[in-house]
Amino acid sequence: MYKSITFALTRTATAADQTAEAVKYIRRKGRSDLSARGEPFLWGLGGALAFGMLMIFGFLALIVWNGLVTFYPKPVQVVTLSDGTLLAGEPSRSEVYKPGPQVLEHLDEPARQAIAAEHGYARRTLFRTGNFDLYNEDFRWASDFSIVSVAEPADVYFIERIEWGPFVGFIRSLNLKGETVSGAALTRQILEEAHRRAVQRRELIREIEREEIGAVNHRLNSERLKLKRIALKQGENSDTYRQAAAESLALQETLQGRYHDLARDAQAVKAEDAQYTVTLAEIGGRGKTIPLSQVVRFTLPNDMSFFEKIRLYLSRWLEFLTDEPREANAEGGVMPALFGTFVMTVLMALAVAPFGVMAALYLREYAKQGKLVSVVRICVNNLAGVPSIVYGVFGLGFFAYICGGTIDRLFFPERLPNPVFGTGGLLWASLTLALLTVPVVIVATEEALAAVPQSMREGSLACGASRWQTIKYIVLPRALPGIMTGLILAMARGAGEVAPLMLVGVVKLAPELPLDGFFPYIHLERSFMHLGFHIFDVGFQSRNSEAGKPMVFVTTLLLISLVAFLNATAIVIRNRLKRRFLIGHF
Amino acid sequence: MEEPDRSFPAPSGARRRAAERPGKARRSVVLADRIADRAITVGGVFVIIAVFGILIFLIEEILPLFKGGAITGVSEYDTGITFESPPVLNIDEYQSIVVALSPDGTLETFHARTGRRLHAPAFDFQGKKLSAMGHTFDREVLAFGFEDGTVRFAGMVLKTEILTPDRLPPGLDVLDDRDLTDGAAVYSAVPGNQFRKVSVELGLEEELRVSTPGIPIVAVDCSAGGMAERPTRALVTVNSAGEVHLSVTESRLNLLTRKAVTKTDTTVLPPIPRGTEIRHVLLPSKADHVYLADRSGTVYRYNIQRFETPFLAETRRLLPSGVQLNSMGFLLGEQSLVAGGSDGSVGIYFRLDRRDATTADGFTLVRTREFEPHEAPVSSLEPALRGKTFLTADQSGRILLRHGTSEATLLRMNGGFEKTRALVIAPRLDGVLALAGDGHATLWNIAVPHPETSFRTLFGKVWYEGYPEPGYTWQSSAATDEFEPKLSLVPLIFGTVKATFYSLIFAIPIALLGAIYTSEFLDRRIRGTVKPVMEMMASLPSVVLGFVAALVLAPVVETWIAAVILAFLVLPACLVGASYLWQFLPERLSLRLQHWPKSVLILCTAVFGLFLAWRSGPLFEDVFFQGSFVLWVNRSHGGAAPFLFLVFLPVSFLAVSAAASRMYGRRLKLFMRGTGSFQAAGLSALNQLGVVTVSILVSGILALLCDRLGLDARGSFVDTYVQRNTLVVGFAMGFAVIPIIYTLAEDALSSVPEHLRAASFGCGATPWQTGLWIVLPTALSGVFSAIMIGMGRAVGETMIVVMATGNTPIMDWNVFNGLRALSANIAVELPESVKDGTLYRVLFLAGLVLFAMTFCINTLAEIIRQRFRRRAMQL
Repeated sequence: MYKSITFALTRTATAADQTAEAVKYIRRKGRSDLSARGEPFLWGLGGALAFGMLMIFGFLALIVWNGLVTFYPKPVQVVTLSDGTLLAGEPSRSEVYKPGPQVLEHLDEPARQAIAAEHGYARRTLFRTGNFDLYNEDFRWASDFSIVSVAEPADVYFIERIEWGPFVGFIRSLNLKGETVSGAALTRQILEEAHRRAVQRRELIREIEREEIGAVNHRLNSERLKLKRIALKQGENSDTYRQAAAESLALQETLQGRYHDLARDAQAVKAEDAQYTVTLAEIGGRGKTIPLSQVVRFTLPNDMSFFEKIRLYLSRWLEFLTDEPREANAEGGVMPALFGTFVMTVLMALAVAPFGVMAALYLREYAKQGKLVSVVRICVNNLAGVPSIVYGVFGLGFFAYICGGTIDRLFFPERLPNPVFGTGGLLWASLTLALLTVPVVIVATEEALAAVPQSMREGSLACGASRWQTIKYIVLPRALPGIMTGLILAMARGAGEVAPLMLVGVVKLAPELPLDGFFPYIHLERSFMHLGFHIFDVGFQSRNSEAGKPMVFVTTLLLISLVAFLNATAIVIRNRLKRRFLIGHF
Repeated sequence: MEEPDRSFPAPSGARRRAAERPGKARRSVVLADRIADRAITVGGVFVIIAVFGILIFLIEEILPLFKGGAITGVSEYDTGITFESPPVLNIDEYQSIVVALSPDGTLETFHARTGRRLHAPAFDFQGKKLSAMGHTFDREVLAFGFEDGTVRFAGMVLKTEILTPDRLPPGLDVLDDRDLTDGAAVYSAVPGNQFRKVSVELGLEEELRVSTPGIPIVAVDCSAGGMAERPTRALVTVNSAGEVHLSVTESRLNLLTRKAVTKTDTTVLPPIPRGTEIRHVLLPSKADHVYLADRSGTVYRYNIQRFETPFLAETRRLLPSGVQLNSMGFLLGEQSLVAGGSDGSVGIYFRLDRRDATTADGFTLVRTREFEPHEAPVSSLEPALRGKTFLTADQSGRILLRHGTSEATLLRMNGGFEKTRALVIAPRLDGVLALAGDGHATLWNIAVPHPETSFRTLFGKVWYEGYPEPGYTWQSSAATDEFEPKLSLVPLIFGTVKATFYSLIFAIPIALLGAIYTSEFLDRRIRGTVKPVMEMMASLPSVVLGFVAALVLAPVVETWIAAVILAFLVLPACLVGASYLWQFLPERLSLRLQHWPKSVLILCTAVFGLFLAWRSGPLFEDVFFQGSFVLWVNRSHGGAAPFLFLVFLPVSFLAVSAAASRMYGRRLKLFMRGTGSFQAAGLSALNQLGVVTVSILVSGILALLCDRLGLDARGSFVDTYVQRNTLVVGFAMGFAVIPIIYTLAEDALSSVPEHLRAASFGCGATPWQTGLWIVLPTALSGVFSAIMIGMGRAVGETMIVVMATGNTPIMDWNVFNGLRALSANIAVELPESVKDGTLYRVLFLAGLVLFAMTFCINTLAEIIRQRFRRRAMQL
């Protein structure tokens, strides 16, 4: 291709008559001709760039807008449909669609003509009606042609619940331990006070069940494992074992007793809690009584001031960032996923930084620069382009099954056949990602090392410094910003990577955080949650992808902000570096 | 960070001391230097080795796939059981007991590992003489036919129980290091301080009168099927008069009374010709067909799907004339019919629906698989209870273990004796027992971990069970054990290539043209913001792209598909049209506006083009696709011509404009030079308009012509519309690939030395001429390597293809259909595969293929890029 172009070039150049014409023309008019300006082609090039930028900004705008508005309270509309049914819900989005022939058949003439005028398209709105326990669906479409009237009554509640998603409807009565409050007596204060107490009870139950009973269970389990370990080591007929078994039995009995006490406590609180209920009614009049503690918050979206809305918006964000997920991850918060992403990225950086820098130092400062090193360099460059899923395959096969399996056999024989390290987990995920990103760090570090002028090294060595002293005091400080850039870019890539993690330890719901109050406090073998996998899971594997969509957008916004933040940091560091050492390298 | 001066905190005293002893460094410095040396060398080499270790590890993991099998141990012994005609053998899962049931009904058992005879229970036929015997596939249900024409069902089960040590009978004899015996059953210690007892349990049922009384039964077969609460058993008998009877027994357990109600129906099948000596009777467990075969190799296939009216569907010689059918039997799943001939040949037949079949039910037996022939006549055939593995033996004593799907010979064994009489494969596929007529037995311990994979099954065409023809198929798992795994990697590789291809034809033009514009024509200030934005996009998590593609883009594209297609035409048309309008601008004005205002104008034009496409989408759909593109593409309505017209339009436009410039291009150019700029702009716009008109005419005529000839784009690269399709993947992957190609290409273009540009401008070339003829050719190899790296990324992309395609492993180029890529397949199936199982290793192989593909592409790109760097340095 290159040849043909140069050929064309020479041909134009040697076309003598043409040159003469051009010279004549330039003398006469002093203007270039239109084909030389290539205006249509220029516009084509520019159009491609414009389209690319439009794609990117459209994409970012979509994510940012959807992510930001999700938590802002929307009005609840009560819609009367042409068949007489009532529908109450948040209008979540509207779109243009093509009604099928069956739908058109049942329409009256003006509506049909209106659709025909739009080439068969009609507009419809998706209402988030909630009340999944009553309707068996969260969302309903209502076509514009079937809507008779829309109202926004002030007294319609949007109630977020622990289970079954939101409830849209009215509060009929409050049942406080046998005492029923309804009608005008049911003021906002009474409701909020009762709800506050209910939330306290819910947290008390949670504390007993998760924290205290959890601790007892943990001790019971570790006692059992300790005994099994002794049995494996000394044999079941040894004296040590018998002694330990007797001790363990006594301890287990005390723990069992404690467990029963706690369970009784929890039961008592639950029984108390069950006496405080709220009776709700959906728009069609069907009632539903739920314990007050099942309610996360009551809102009157049609009767809120701007500041109330902002407060609600912020409190929802707070809940999102600090709470645990509920409703199969489609609601609640993402704290465990955020935490998992953070811990994994930090562990990965800890693993990748020393090794990547070491390899780069070796390649650039120690190894003899020859054919072999340049081949190795090409290969390292290429490894940065090897698909992440391949690293995941390797991580599962080598780290989890081979390394982890060996660790289990050597150190945790009492837990077999249940794997401890012999399955995907935080450590293996971090190491896999470290391996995935090590080429990025090597390449960046090498470039940074190469940018340090050779004369500085020579100067240092000439002053009598040893090689290590030169590296430590002269080369590394200058290369540090470049290394940091590489590391941050690696972290950004690692934080956004999902495919390999699906193989080496990410789960949709991890019951325990990798960090807790039990020795050794950080549990590297545990599986964990990850923002990227959270997106995949909620978007694709939840009961209703539509219900999870707002949540996915917010999670996406969070993940993109995280990655963008890391990238922006890297770019800022790089720019500062460029300004500091104005040494170009191609 | 630090100033260079501060980096040397050496105290002046130390310096003085060092100066006093020239050439001597402090010990700590030397030590630190040496430690750092070692650490960095070891660490560096370790990292590099670790990174390459991936490749070695992957290869090591997949090697077992291509190894057939191995014999891990042989034990030979004399059982002391002699027999005339071959008995039915059965062995338990743990290789403890072997049961040999002779054709005369006598039962012998012995210990499988030592050959020691054990006491066996016996069937009591009350003095009747056995004349035929049949059994189900798992050999647990037997059918006996007697000389008086009666038949009896029987059960012969090798029962396994787990006992605690206190339930162990006293005074057990030691058989070998594992097993003990009380004379009849075998006991072996199992982990957890328990014992496993394996014993033989027999049961004989009441006489059934299925066949004509008094006429001896010569052949019988039985099958057991149905559900657990409604078991059915079927029985087919052939008597010496040539009559064939079929009986189906259905037992129904009444849930209230707990009483079993048994119902037996008998029917007579059309008779076979008199004097035919039936050698084989096969009745599949579904009891829908009966296969009879005589000595000469003629197979009679009865269709008994309608029980009341069975008919003889097909009569066929399976083997060439002169060759006898020595063995015939099903493989697991009872779809593959194996036939072994007296010429040593072994082949598999499927019952397939063939249009040209001359049989009564439209199905015919087709020989689909051919195996390595024996050198001597085939003497016996034994299928395994797991997978499609089977054994064949010939009369010279050679035994071959083969696999039905891969057609491979996994193991070769030689009995070392003249006539192997009976064979059996252990249920776990870990042993083969051969018993000779003189009581000599050989037990081979074998290991065949991955019998179903070979190079051919992974990469070649395979004729799978129930498929009308050989093909490439990926289907790794199903609900039943009888399923034949289809592990061809070809559809997955195809999926990867398809996704890469479509995403690149979308991404390359946008990225490259954008990069050229950025480096050569864009205002420097805008460039400073555009470039980092694009770079940031390169690190956008692909899960986000996948999510947006699948849940936002896919429904939108489905609704607006016509507008999307139209945009591919309208957007370039708008840009070109606007450029002709721009040429009308007076030169002074256009020079003043040529920097950022022009770029902004281009952006506005692009937005306008998209808007226009969106608004005119419905009209376009009405005119070209009769109102619905999705229906059109499903071939519900409409002709081929409109779409062909759209496809031909760009091609004919290029052809017409090339022809036009050839014909009068230069004359027009020269003429335009003589006119003013306004007239020239008008002339060129007019010329372009003419070209467009002619090309519309040409492509219209071409489209009509092709339509007449019966050409249709549907069926090739456009066909049935699926919501999550390759078009959407191409878009989404564009987000991932465009920034990479753009950034690298832009780097290559802007690193072309400035003096080349200056020289070109100095010669009077315009920016456009400089860009096209000077900068692009110089940077071409760099640009090419950018494309290669983008391709590498597209090949390995996982989350986008997992989420935005339907993950259907099909092989067609239809842009509106889904695909299943290698990477997506790994992500979906590896978490559920069993460690070290066949699927696990095949997925590792998929990983290796992916690794190799990207590694090759990237290495090529890297080499090209290095050459480019060298050349750019020289300039």
